[in-house]
Amino acid sequence: MSAVLTAEPTVEPLAAAAAAMAAELARVTVEVRGRGRGAGEAAVGAGVIWHPDGLILTNAHVAHRDVTVVLADGRACGARLVARDPRRDLAALVVDATGLPAAEIGDSGALRVGELVLAVGNPLGLVRALSAGLVHAVGPRAIHADLRLAPGNSGGPLADARGRVVGLNAMIVGGLAVAVPSREAQRFVREQLRG
Amino acid sequence: MEALLSLSNDLAGAVEARRPIHRGRARAPAPAVHRDPLARRHRGHRRPHGPDGGRHHRRGRGRPARGPPPSSAAIPARTSRVLRVADLDTAPAALGDDGALRVGHMVLALGYGPRASWGVISALGPRWRTWRGAEIDRLVRLDLVLYPGFSGGPLVDAAGRVVGLNTSGLARESRLALPVTTVARVTDELLRKGHVARAYLGIGMQPVRLPEPLRAALGLPGDGGLIVVMVEPDGPAARAGLLLGDVLVALDGAPTGDLEDVQAQLGAERIGTTVTALVLRAGARTEVRITVGERPRRGAS
Repeated sequence: MSAVLTAEPTVEPLAAAAAAMAAELARVTVEVRGRGRGAGEAAVGAGVIWHPDGLILTNAHVAHRDVTVVLADGRACGARLVARDPRRDLAALVVDATGLPAAEIGDSGALRVGELVLAVGNPLGLVRALSAGLVHAVGPRAIHADLRLAPGNSGGPLADARGRVVGLNAMIVGGLAVAVPSREAQRFVREQLRG
Repeated sequence: MEALLSLSNDLAGAVEARRPIHRGRARAPAPAVHRDPLARRHRGHRRPHGPDGGRHHRRGRGRPARGPPPSSAAIPARTSRVLRVADLDTAPAALGDDGALRVGHMVLALGYGPRASWGVISALGPRWRTWRGAEIDRLVRLDLVLYPGFSGGPLVDAAGRVVGLNTSGLARESRLALPVTTVARVTDELLRKGHVARAYLGIGMQPVRLPEPLRAALGLPGDGGLIVVMVEPDGPAARAGLLLGDVLVALDGAPTGDLEDVQAQLGAERIGTTVTALVLRAGARTEVRITVGERPRRGAS
């Protein structure tokens, strides 16, 4: 075990690394907004750019129908709901764009309790806000994280210390963040979007 | 990003190295830290409101205090228990030094599973006394979430060493850890004697305010005292001749305005020694010499 937490000179690179990762994660996170009643529509959740050709994953409870997504560069695009699975709380959206900054997807099955995780989303309307915490428990259907979330984080990425997306934040249970594991999300994408 | 990754790996490594054991019979399964073939478990969450079910409140300067009515001079129990576990084949916890902790240090709280919670040391303070009268060597306040079942689990520093035992049973709103120094001290005593010895007078008392003219006339220290509302038959105070209705105003010259003042005078080292109690009886000063006893163990006769 190194003394990485106790020696002061390590704090600065640590903070710099966390900030760099936050910026990187913000690029692959989109705001999901309801569509229709004018420009004053508030963000209802977040999403993760899964593929550069416009595939965005979010929670089923965030995307009930076609929505508007706002990219990190400020572009607002209409998004089509192409698949939705309320049981796993996953939904797939497609926007008409290419060359988007897609997230690097990690393996949720390899997560260890105690690993650092970061979440980006739009909690309480704060756009692309970051929370940091650690893995509290790992189950087959859910990752529990000791991490502060708020409404608006839903559908946003949960990333490991390398910045790889290991889950989609879905719920707050007893103060704990609960995320859909990336393995489940990948299975969902394979099943729903074959061909 | 390497710094973050190595921090993350260190944290996960610390969790795996300090996986707490679990006591199945507990109502809320609480984890425990073990040292040799011994397990230690905090029992605060089983009796969060004290032996008498009384009300407790916090008082000025953050010192937790027990509100009226009386606690007896019998000093209530500490919140640790030692369990002996047969055939435990895991390696004992490496103990750290809680004296080296600084505010801002990163720490992990662990639960059975393992499950983990992460935060920082939010405040450190000097020696303090819990509302149940036990003396804790250092105040360790945590900025992290203690999830249900985390009480009694280890507080682990960045190097994976156990520096305390987490408890949510000693203070209502803040998360605290019992420092390992205290835990080691209590454990040694429990192992040596089978129980923690506590000084005992055998009286129940309640704070009262003393009228100014009386204080002036008798030259009493302090502005309050403790009225004796219960005298344990054949207890140390009864044997010394203390009576129901006496008002204790000082012990060995130190004013006793509240029960904490009495507890502060009655460390375990006073057992067998004599204290001089200054009491107010029938409007006059009286001195009573009491030989401090040891608190009888609950259930033992």
